[in-house]
Amino acid sequence: MAVGDYALLIPLLPALAFVLTFFLGKKLPNGGAIIPIVAIATSFVISLLITLGLLQNPEQVINQSVTWFAMLNLGILVDPLAAVMLTMVTFVSLLIHIYSTGYMSHDRAQYRYFAVTSLFTASMLSLIISDNILQLFVSWELVGLCSYLLIGFWYQKPAAASAAKKAFLTTRIGDVMFLAGIVVLFSDLFRLYNGSIPEGVFILKFDEIFSQIPQLAAMSTPILGFQVNHLTLITLLFLGGAIGKSGQFPLHVWLPDAMEGPTTVSALIHAATMVTAGIYLVARTFPMFIAAPDSLMVVAYIGAFTAIFAATMGIVMNDMKRVLAYSTISQLGYMMLGLGLGAVIGAEAVGISMFHLINHAFFKALLFLCAGSVIHAVATHDMRQLGGVAKVMPITAATMIIGALALAGIGIPGTSIGFSGFFSKDAIIEAAFLFGENGGGWVLYALSIAAALLTSIYIFRLIFMTFFGKPRTAYGGHEAHASMTLPLSILAILSLVFGALTMERFNTFVSETFVNNFVHMDIPALAELGGYHLASHAGHEPLIILWMPVIVGIAGLLIAYLIYGLRVVNMDRLVSRTNPIYKLLYNRYYQNAILTNFLSIKVVYEGLAFAGRAVDTGFDWIVNWIGDVTIDTGDALRQLQTGVVQNYAMVVITGVSLLVILITVVMEVL
Amino acid sequence: MIPIELYIGLSVVIFSIGLYGFMTQRNGVRMLMCVELMLNSANINLVAFSSYHGNLTGQVFVLYVIALAAAEAVVGFAILMSIFRTKDMIDLDKINILRW
Repeated sequence: MAVGDYALLIPLLPALAFVLTFFLGKKLPNGGAIIPIVAIATSFVISLLITLGLLQNPEQVINQSVTWFAMLNLGILVDPLAAVMLTMVTFVSLLIHIYSTGYMSHDRAQYRYFAVTSLFTASMLSLIISDNILQLFVSWELVGLCSYLLIGFWYQKPAAASAAKKAFLTTRIGDVMFLAGIVVLFSDLFRLYNGSIPEGVFILKFDEIFSQIPQLAAMSTPILGFQVNHLTLITLLFLGGAIGKSGQFPLHVWLPDAMEGPTTVSALIHAATMVTAGIYLVARTFPMFIAAPDSLMVVAYIGAFTAIFAATMGIVMNDMKRVLAYSTISQLGYMMLGLGLGAVIGAEAVGISMFHLINHAFFKALLFLCAGSVIHAVATHDMRQLGGVAKVMPITAATMIIGALALAGIGIPGTSIGFSGFFSKDAIIEAAFLFGENGGGWVLYALSIAAALLTSIYIFRLIFMTFFGKPRTAYGGHEAHASMTLPLSILAILSLVFGALTMERFNTFVSETFVNNFVHMDIPALAELGGYHLASHAGHEPLIILWMPVIVGIAGLLIAYLIYGLRVVNMDRLVSRTNPIYKLLYNRYYQNAILTNFLSIKVVYEGLAFAGRAVDTGFDWIVNWIGDVTIDTGDALRQLQTGVVQNYAMVVITGVSLLVILITVVMEVL
Repeated sequence: MIPIELYIGLSVVIFSIGLYGFMTQRNGVRMLMCVELMLNSANINLVAFSSYHGNLTGQVFVLYVIALAAAEAVVGFAILMSIFRTKDMIDLDKINILRW
């Protein structure tokens, strides 16, 4: 029996672990952490074996489907794209679970934590493994639910409860768009079949959708006076969902607030199970995006803008976790940019973007877990109160510096020496350069280089402020427990070598997903349909372009060292409320004021409240009127009941007498 | 033979006495006695018509009514007894605690 036959178990085991942990976890030591750990470890082994099998023989795609109802199906699909995601998610999730046994050991609701993280992992895995868009959507919503539960894990804290609500509602905006996209897609496909779908055709299955791309691209509807291509409409709606889930501008506001949950949850959300879902959605439907005019450009510009926008805010944050949160948003922007650059490099975009996603998962999980380790030990995440932590926590410091170097993308171009982030980020920036060279404009390249510089500055600012110099306040601390340092070391090793070891292989492997696999798409033909001009991607860029990302990375490191390590500049002048730029950045471009206070509270909330009050008044009046009339009538009628027997007898006698008279009269008349 | 009108006249007189007593008295025992009077006036009627028509059904019916009246008296007097024990009086117009 081939290992592929067990593919169904990958999402199923963590789901089972959720049930077991939820009901039995209270009685087991450590909140029953062992159940999800074993389940996810098994899932990881299965995914890894499937991935290795696929690497040897890419034709061995696993695709099993059963009818759900009518023309819809349930099924699993493991192609290279899904396989690498599955392996990454199970692996990172496994390490985070192991780490959590140490990190959460003082929490009394541990069983709830492990149950929900297990469900979180299960829903993400089922999202990845779906072979149709509807099943993907169902898992997508489950992921949203779990993120809500985990961000609000400490629901006693009002900040956590409101952050959970904010995350849920913000991503909901995206979810609604995604659902609208599915509805449009479904009705279009239904129309293409003239309403009669042959037996055995599942119209929302990915290969079925992809085979209809040319017909979809030919449909268009006038909206607000523009002829809108249906494929563009659908893909942009999908992109809306991805923007919400992956924290892209303008729906990124929930991600920094999501820090209210336990740090391990942040690691899980940022690295493995949540924000990557949006990127994965775009990657999964990439053939649709590349055949849709303008869609990829929207993806690219949103990504590039988010990358720089979030990076500028990351520079001024004082909360360690917030810096990392903005860093995640910024890096997700890079991934979006990478996918959008499919406009010039075709299917390879999926490869480089997923490569960055995987590398990012490793080093971001590492950075978060290190931050968690520091927070766990010193009980504060305000960097202004730290300093010199490296002396107390050498392992954490060393691993975190590796993570930072990977994030900043330090390496030597042209060789296979470098931290993992270097290879993937470089590939994206090079693609942006290629885009400019082919007449697409230099904005994307400029933004991505600038964002790379800022990335390096903010992450080394964090490193220097936290780990070096003299302690700024008296804090107690100690190196973390082995259950925590072990995952850190594993992730650090992967951040060091994963990129270098797998780069070429990985890119071709994943890029082939749509070309020569369970579907055989003609990507250049599709690009023609979308009006994109693909360029041949050869390494003929000038040397300076290859070195550019590394130069800005090292420049950022030096700047951070000069300012925060050697203190050559007096920071008090820069960091003050009178400096308008600092004020603008520190207040996060006033987006909180604009989006939360004005848009959501004033406009939406107050508007709804007003409308609600108006409706309420109307309904209240009717309901109260009915109530009042009933009460008054009853009040009047009950006066008849005197309780004196003679009165009742009198009424009876009068009645009988009247009846007798009436009958007599009637008889007379007749 | 006594004409049927006299029986009916007696019955009407007794019924009227019963009704008058029922309407005017406040004492529970008296009211029950008046109810008995009304029932028995109806019995007289039934027996009278039974013998007038030579049909025994009316007399059988009267036996039922007598049994019923006995049962009613048992229940009624039992209730009055317990009212008397708790309230030391049986004025029915003052027994109105279940009213609104």
